[in-house]
Amino acid sequence: MNCDTNGPVDGVDRRSVLAAGAAGLSLSLSGCIDTVRSVVNDDGDDQLSLSIVTVPADGDRENVRIARHLESNLEAVGVDVTLTMRSRSEFLEKVLIDHDFDLYVGRHPADYDPDFLYEALHSTYADEAGWQNPFRYSNPTFFDPLLEEQRRAEGEERRARIDSVLDGLAEEKPFEPICRPGEYRVARTDRFDGWDDGHLATRRGYLGLDPLDEEIDRLDALVTDARPSQNVNPLSATARERGPIVDLLYDSLGTVHSSDDGEHEIAEWLAESWEWETPSDDEPGEKTIATVTLREDCTFHDGEPVTAADVAFTYRFIADTALGQADSPSPAPRYRGLTSLIDEHGIEIDDESDYRLRIPVEADRAVAERAFTVPILPRHIWREELRDRIDTAGDVTAPQGQWGLVTTSSVDPIGSGPYQFESQSDRDYLALERFDDHFTRREDLDGDHLLAPMVEELRFNVDPGSSSSIARVESGAADVTSSMLETHAINEISDEPEIQRLEDPSWTFYHLGFNTRVPPCSNPHFRRAVSQLIDKKWVVEEIFYDHAEPIATPVADEWVPDELAWDDDTSEDPVTPFVGTDGSLNVEAARAAFDAAGYASDSDGRLLGRY
Amino acid sequence: MLTEVLTQVALVVAIMLLVSIPLFIGRERLTRLRTDWQSRLRTSAPAMLILSVVLLFNRVMRQDDPDIGVHMTETIRGLEGEFILIFQQIGSTELTMYFSFIYVYGYTFLLIFPAVAYFALSDTRMFRRLLTSYTLNYAIGLTLYALVIAYGPRNFMPEVETVLYNASPEYQHLTREVNRNTNVFPSLHTSLAATVGLFAYHTRSSYPKWYLVATVLAVSVIISTMYLGLHWATDVVAGLALAAFCVAASDRIVGRWSLSAIYTDLRSLRERRADRSDGADGDP
Repeated sequence: MNCDTNGPVDGVDRRSVLAAGAAGLSLSLSGCIDTVRSVVNDDGDDQLSLSIVTVPADGDRENVRIARHLESNLEAVGVDVTLTMRSRSEFLEKVLIDHDFDLYVGRHPADYDPDFLYEALHSTYADEAGWQNPFRYSNPTFFDPLLEEQRRAEGEERRARIDSVLDGLAEEKPFEPICRPGEYRVARTDRFDGWDDGHLATRRGYLGLDPLDEEIDRLDALVTDARPSQNVNPLSATARERGPIVDLLYDSLGTVHSSDDGEHEIAEWLAESWEWETPSDDEPGEKTIATVTLREDCTFHDGEPVTAADVAFTYRFIADTALGQADSPSPAPRYRGLTSLIDEHGIEIDDESDYRLRIPVEADRAVAERAFTVPILPRHIWREELRDRIDTAGDVTAPQGQWGLVTTSSVDPIGSGPYQFESQSDRDYLALERFDDHFTRREDLDGDHLLAPMVEELRFNVDPGSSSSIARVESGAADVTSSMLETHAINEISDEPEIQRLEDPSWTFYHLGFNTRVPPCSNPHFRRAVSQLIDKKWVVEEIFYDHAEPIATPVADEWVPDELAWDDDTSEDPVTPFVGTDGSLNVEAARAAFDAAGYASDSDGRLLGRY
Repeated sequence: MLTEVLTQVALVVAIMLLVSIPLFIGRERLTRLRTDWQSRLRTSAPAMLILSVVLLFNRVMRQDDPDIGVHMTETIRGLEGEFILIFQQIGSTELTMYFSFIYVYGYTFLLIFPAVAYFALSDTRMFRRLLTSYTLNYAIGLTLYALVIAYGPRNFMPEVETVLYNASPEYQHLTREVNRNTNVFPSLHTSLAATVGLFAYHTRSSYPKWYLVATVLAVSVIISTMYLGLHWATDVVAGLALAAFCVAASDRIVGRWSLSAIYTDLRSLRERRADRSDGADGDP
C-alpha cells in the first residue's frame, strides 16, 4: 500500500495552497484510511467501474448531458462507466435515501445563505437518509467545528469561517459544483399583474398577483415535473427539490424577503413578531432565546386554530418523526439543517398565552431566523397519523427517511397557508384554492411584504417540456411557467408585448456528487482527478448556451472567496482545472492525474482499482 | 394544445382514408359491403370485442403503471451503444419532417386502413386475423412495458436535432397522453407497422397496390422510431419479433374456436349431463 501524504496530483494543486495546513493534514489522512478499505474491498486487477446516476432529459436536458460529458471522459481514461437513469423521484430515492450510487449529477436547491452547507456536510448527518449529507461525508475534525462556529459568528468572523469551509470543500470535494443556471420563466401580462414582485420558486411569487379582470378566477401555471400532481407531503425528500407548493399550503413563522438591492432577510409571517434575548458574555452555557408571538385567530384549512403547540410540535416532529416511540429517533429527510438551529427540547409555551413561545437557538440571530422558514404542521393531523401507524404496526419501526409517514401521499395536506389543497390528478395537475381566512387577507395588516392570495384558484398543470410550455403560455392557454425553463428553450420566447420574460436570482447549482463511503470515491485524490474531467466552461457554452455561470464553489455573490472566484480570463477552475481544451480531454494528462492518485492503467488502457 | 393536435390528426387521417378507400378497395367490394356488412360484423364480433377490451385495458395500464418492472436502460444501452446515431448521417430538415409526419399520421393511417380493407373482403378471416394480431401485439407489448422499465434514446441525447419533440414539441402532448416515457421496449410502432406489412404481403393478390404502399409506410414507420430518437434498435428488433409471432399466432387462433360451435358444444354437454343425472341414482 502506498499513500503519498504529500502527494498532490501534478497540476491539480497548483493554486490550492490556500487550504489551512491543519486541514491539509486531516484531508490526506482521510485518504489514507480510505485506501485501507479499498484494498479490502477490491478484487485486485479488475477494471475500475463506476455508476453515474442521472435523470431523464424530459424537463431537464442539461443534467443528462453533463452526465454524458463525464461518462465519455471517464471512459476515455479507462473506467467502466454505467449511466443509470431514473425518474426524478427515483433518482432522489437512490441518492438521498438509499445512497446507492458512486457518482450522481444533480441540482442542489442551495440557499442565499451559506449555512445550507451545514446540512450538506456535517458529519452528524453522514448516516442519515435525506437531503442531509447525501455524500455521507465525514470530517468531524475539520468541517464540523467550522460549520458550527460560523453559525454563532457575525460579520468578518463568520466570513472567515465560511471561507475556510469553502476552501476545504474545494480541496476535499465531497461534491463538485459545476455551474449555476440562470432562472428564467415566462408569463403573460394580459391577465395578471405583479410578476416582478417575487421569486416564482417561492410562495411570494404567487401572492399579490392581481387578476386584471374580475372574471378571471384561475391562474394556470405550468410545471415540467409531474411530482406535484402526485405527492405534496411536506416532509418527503423525493417529491421535490424545492418549489412553492409546500410554502403555499403551509405557513412558516417567517418568510424570506428580498429587497430590490438583492439583500435577503427573514420577515415576520405567521409570527407577528419575535424578540431576542442574547446571554451576556459572563453567562456561558446560556442560550440565545427567541420569544415568538404568533398572529392570533389563524386557523388551519380544516378550521382548527394554529397555536404555539403546533409550532413546538413541528420542530420536535422534524427532529424525530416517531416522537420517541420508535427504538431510535427517526429525523425527517428534510429541513434537518434548518431545525438543527433550534434546541427543540428547550421550547417552552407561554403559560399565559397560546400564541407565545420561547425557542432556544444554537446560532446567531441572523442565521437562526432561517429556522423560522420551516412549514408549520398541524399537530392534530400528524399526531393522529402517527398514532394510526403505531396501532396497526404494533411495534414501531420507523426507518429513518423512508418510513411511511415521510413518504406517503395520503396524509391530509392541511396547513394554514394562503392556498389550500383542492384536487390532484396524477401526471395532469394540482389545483389549489384560495384560503379566504388567511391572515394576509385581513384589513388591519402592516408590512409591505404581507402579500395576500388574490386569484381564487391556482392550478399547476403538468407539461412535457420547456418548449411546449413557452408555446402554451404564448398561445394564451397558460399564464406562467412555474418550473424554471431549460436553457435550450430560452431563445424561443417571443417579444410580443403581452409576453414577459422573467429572470430571478438563482442559488441552485448543478453538481457532481460523490459517495464518499465507497471506494474509489472515498479517496479525495480520486475525487479531484474525476473533477478535472469536467470542462465547466464547455458545459456552460455547449449545454447551457451561456445561460449559466461556471462555478468552483457552491455559494453565490458576496460569499464567494476571492481565491475561488471563477477566473474569466483563463476560464479555468481555480483549483481543479479541466485537463484538456474546449471539452476534449487530454487523455494522457488525465491518466497521469489518476496515476498520481494511485490508480494505474493496464496495457489495454483500462484504469485499475487500487491494489 | 392536445385537442388541437388530436383534431389535426383526426382530420388528416380522415382525408387519407377518403382518398385511399376508393383507390385501393375498389367500387365493387364496397358495393358488396353495403349488403353484407351485418353478417360480416356478426362473425367478427368476438375478435372486435376482445380487441376493445384489450385497448381499454391498455388505456388504464398506461395511465396507472404498476411498479413491478426491472430497469433495463443500462442493459440496452450497453448492448447497442450509440448505434441509432447512424440515422443522423442522413439527417436533414426535410427528412425530419417526413419521418415526423409518418410517425404520427402515417402510422395511424397504417393501422386503420387495413381494418377497413379486410372488412371489405367477402371472407372475414383476414379481418379477424388482423384484429387478433392487434390484440396480441397490445397484450404482449403491454406486459413487456410493465416488466421492462427503460428510457428511450431521446432522454439520453436530447441535443440530437432530429428528435421528434425538438422539431415538433406539440406532438409530445399527444404521445404523453397515450404513453409514458419508460415504455419503450418493445417498439409497438414497429410491431404494429410490421404486422400490417406482413398482412399486406399475405393479401397482395387481393390488394396489390396496397401491398406496395403498406411496405413503404411500414418501413418508414420502423426507421422513424430510431431516426426520431424514440426507440433503441433493440426495441425495434423486439418489435419485429413480436410482429412475426403475432401474425403467425393469429393464423392458428382464428377459426379454431367459433362461437356457434362453442354454443353447440355447450348445449350437447348440458344435454349429456341432463341424461346422466337422469340415470344418476345408481352411480357411485
